[in-house]
Order: sequence, then C-alpha cells, then structure tokens
Amino acid sequence: MNIVDIADLTKSFDTSGGRTTVVDRISLTLPQGSLTVLVGPSGCGKSTTLRIVAGLESADSGTVHIGGRDVTTATPRERDVAMVFQNYALYPHLSVERNISFPLRNSGVAKDVAAQRARQAAERVGITALLDRKPRQLSGGQQQRVAIARALVRTPALFLFDEPLSNLDAKLRVELRSEIRALQQDSGITALYVTHDQEEAMTIADQLVVLDAGTVAQAGTPEELYRRPANTFVAGFIGSPSTNLLTGTLDDGHFVADGVRFGLPGAADGAVTLGVRPEDLIVRPDDAGTGTLEIVELLGPRYVLIVTVGGHRLTAVVEAATVASWGRSPVPGDRVAVDIRADRAHLFDAATGRRL
Amino acid sequence: MKARLTIAVALVIALLPVAYLLSLAVRPADDVLNSSLLPNTWTWQNFVRVFDTIDLTTMLANSWISATGAAVLAVAVATPAAYVTARRTGGDRLLSVLLASYCAPPIVAIIPLFFALRYAGLTNNVGGLVLVNGIASVPVAAWLLDGFVRRIPVEIDEAAAVDGLTPARVFAKVVLPLLWPGVVAALLVVFFLSYNDFLFAVYLAVTKESQTLTVGLSLFQGDRNVQFGQQAAAGLLGIAPVYVLALAAQRYLVGGLTTGAVK
Repeated sequence: MNIVDIADLTKSFDTSGGRTTVVDRISLTLPQGSLTVLVGPSGCGKSTTLRIVAGLESADSGTVHIGGRDVTTATPRERDVAMVFQNYALYPHLSVERNISFPLRNSGVAKDVAAQRARQAAERVGITALLDRKPRQLSGGQQQRVAIARALVRTPALFLFDEPLSNLDAKLRVELRSEIRALQQDSGITALYVTHDQEEAMTIADQLVVLDAGTVAQAGTPEELYRRPANTFVAGFIGSPSTNLLTGTLDDGHFVADGVRFGLPGAADGAVTLGVRPEDLIVRPDDAGTGTLEIVELLGPRYVLIVTVGGHRLTAVVEAATVASWGRSPVPGDRVAVDIRADRAHLFDAATGRRL
Repeated sequence: MKARLTIAVALVIALLPVAYLLSLAVRPADDVLNSSLLPNTWTWQNFVRVFDTIDLTTMLANSWISATGAAVLAVAVATPAAYVTARRTGGDRLLSVLLASYCAPPIVAIIPLFFALRYAGLTNNVGGLVLVNGIASVPVAAWLLDGFVRRIPVEIDEAAAVDGLTPARVFAKVVLPLLWPGVVAALLVVFFLSYNDFLFAVYLAVTKESQTLTVGLSLFQGDRNVQFGQQAAAGLLGIAPVYVLALAAQRYLVGGLTTGAVK
C-alpha cells in the first residue's frame, strides 16, 4: 500500500530572469513504512518538493495524497506530518522537554501525558539528561536529536527530513544517519528524506529518487540506480568517485574515442556515451601502455588513480591488495595499460543521454 | 584608547544640554541671563516655585499616561503588522507604504484630527492623545519590529505550523515570546516619541486638566519675560524619570532570545 502519492507536481517561482520552473511534473509513490530519499544537486527541486508535501509551499498544479486523503490544499497542521529541518528549528524559549512535547500539547494531549511521552522520545534518541536545558545550551548534534525526538513523539502518517545532517560534522553525520534509519524502521512510519549527499542517500534509502532540473531522472532502489543508471546524469551523480563518461563511437565491437579503444563485443555500431564505474576500469602497470598515472591517492583499503589516456582523464579505483601484487607502489608518471570490464559497461545514447 | 576617546566626546555632546539645563535650574532669576556656563550663586527655589507656576504633577501624570497608552496601542497594532510585513510575500512593499505615511508632516493632520476627536468627544482628553500618538507611531513601531521578526528564522514558524498551530497561534505562542526584546524596544521608542510630542498636545489638549509636560514647559514663555530657571527645573523633573526608564530597560534592548534557535 502506498501511504503517499504525489502526482504531476509543478511549481514555478518568479526570478530576475523571468519565471523558473523548479518542480516539473514530478510523480512519486512512497510505499508504507519505506524511506524514500530525494537526492540531486542544488536547485534540482528536492527541497521544494518536500515543502509542498509538508504544506509549506503550494503547488502550481498536481496533487498530494497522504494516507489516501487528498491534502493538496490542506494546511501543514492538517496533514499529519512531522518534519526535521536542516537548521533544527527548535523553539529557543522552551526547554528540551517542552520542545519535544510541543506537538502533543497542540493536539490537546494532557500535560503530564505529553511530558511522559517526551521523556520516552528523548530516551530513544539518547538525550534524557538534557530535558531541562534550553536549545542554546546544546551542541549541534544534540539539537538535531531534539528535533528528531520532536518528530518521533507523535506517530504521524509521514516523516519529512529536509537535509537534517547538513550542518553537522562528517563523523556525526555518519553516526546520526544510521540512527535516523534505525528509528524510522523501528517506528514503521513512512519517510521522505532530502539530501544533496549521494552517499548518505545510498546508505539509508529504500527508494532513491534522483532529481535533475525539477524532473525525476530515475527512481528505484539504490542498487538499481547504481547498477543500471537510466541516463548519464544518474550515472554521473550516483557513486563516488563519479562514473567515467566518454563520448565516442561503437565500431565493430569496439568503443573508440580520442586515443581510447575498448573492446565491447556485441554492441551495435553508432555514436554513444560510454559509462564506466571507477572500480570497473582495469589499470595495470605496463611500460608500453597508453595511459599515464597523473594522481595516486591511497584511501586505506583501496587506491584512487587518475589516469590520462588519449584525450581523456579517467578515474580508477583499485584494491590495495591488487596494487600490492604489482610489486611496486604506483607513482605519478608511471605508464599503465587501461581496459574496462565490458560486461559492466553502461552505454547511453550520445544525443539524449538515455541508457541503450 | 581611540574608542574610549570617541565615547567620551559623544558623552560630552549628549550630556552638555542636560548639564546646562541643571546649571540654569539651580540659579536665581537674576543670574540666569548672565550667559555663564556655571551659576554664580546656587538655589533650589526654582524646583519649589515651578509647582506654583504650573500644575506640574498633573502635567507629568498626563504625559506619562498618554505616552504609556500610546506606546501600548502602537505596539499592539504594530506587532502583528510587522509579522505580516516580515513574513508575507510583498510585505516589504506594504511596510514602505506604511512608512510613507509617517513621512508627511504631522501638522497636515491637525485640523482633520481635531474635528475627528471633537466628534468622538476626545478633545482635551488624555485618551485622545493616546489614540492620536499611538496611531501616528504605528509605522515607526512596525518598521522597528519588522527587523526583529526578520531575525527570527522562518523555519521556527514552519516547524510550529507542522507541529499543529494555526498562523495566529504560531504568532502568539512562538513568535511573540521570541520578539520580546523588539517589543520592549518599540514600546520605549514610541513612549519617548509620544512623551516628547508637543504639536498634537498643544492643539488637541488645551485645558489645565489635559495638558502635558511639553505644553506646560511652553507656559513659562510669558509676554514680557521668560522664567528660564523654572522652565529648566520643570524640564529636568520631566526628563529625569524618562532617563531612569531608559537606563533600566537597556538590557532588554541588547541581545535577543533567538540565540540557539537554529545553526
């Protein structure tokens, strides 16, 4: 069962250059209990979409259904949603306990019951000791935990997360994202989560939706998007380091482009864009090779190698164990042979960028 | 060092008129016009006689009541108005229109105001001054408060809306408590503006029972002579409580409650 149905949402804003469409006929369904992540670069419309679902923005056209109810024109309070903001948005004049119990008190829950439920929510996010403090006395991570507890304290139809980890440091981000995921799964409440960080998106999403210029570039599980990107935008956006994209032609089972020639048996001839994940690029030392190592980065268990081949700069990820078998440490300037794992290569139409 | 010197110079410039007022207030009548900075002889008689010349107690009470009433009225209207101008699309344009009305010289409104108040039975009445000064100060109070509302992150309003509040209750339960320093600042500014008003008071409240301090001070200006010493004493008695008020309320003007609201 789908708890949220978003159909043909469109939203434009007046800008100095005229009217800009930031959300362009977006349609999405969020299955019950799932966590859907909207991911994309700045200005792709992900936050606007989330805000329309929350009722904080109105759509120019399209509909939003939550729990089977049409809430397109409903106010935020009528939608039964809870939201966690990027900058926490705590009430600075209220204690942590009163911040958490605030939504309950507004819906008429008795003071002592609300306080008890606030304590339970605080316990779930590990901030019981902070209940009497004011938000200004807390660190960024603690403040965001309070915001999460405020969302958890009632059982809404939908959780909304608007880049909740963007203001936190890297270590805390990793820690808190798994906690958010665990809490969401534990509660069984459907969630819509916005982030610009594709790694964060990949690790927590049941359903990953990549947005590009206000449209859905692709929606699916993180694995589907990683393994079978629908277009060059998704191929380039999902995965770190980014997919190598080379424009060239397929000719007689070979991909040829500006000093590069890779075997791709069985592919039809024509102009294409070839996508190769860094881990699917095969690099090995070879004094007669066509590639030159430009940058060598050791990231613990693996190496990131930037290789120049013909007119292209390609990124390869090689396991440290494989490099160890070469018998010498790679250094910039080394000659290397470069090839691809043909069975894992992605081919896109050179003109439209769509997967072939 | 340079900053301290600047502050010292600013302090001298600000306090010199008050010091000279004190210097005039403690002189006997024949010592007033000798144009010296300091008095040759000292007397407290002006502070006693001033109560015989004018009904200073009533005038002070009228000034305080009309200024306090005007401040409360102006801020009560301006606070929700500023919430709208700061938060709604096109609000800044609305604020400009509101401020434009404040730019017109108040004298142009005197005759219509006089007839309007007479119609309402509020001429020669402190209530009339409360109404006129209060409404006239709404633009400046709204302008001041608009800045304070804009300092409160809009996400706090949005969080409250998602947490189940109507826009009116978001304003009352979340924005207003955070706006407290701004409300106090606006109350003080409107109080001072109204307390210092002369134009409306001299036209609209002319009976002894309704006159304010500013009008009372002008009464020392006789046809043949001016009681400068008494006028200075009355002036000092009028401004002293206001100075104390400004000093006492200073801490409300500094800082705000929004610290810690958002990162």
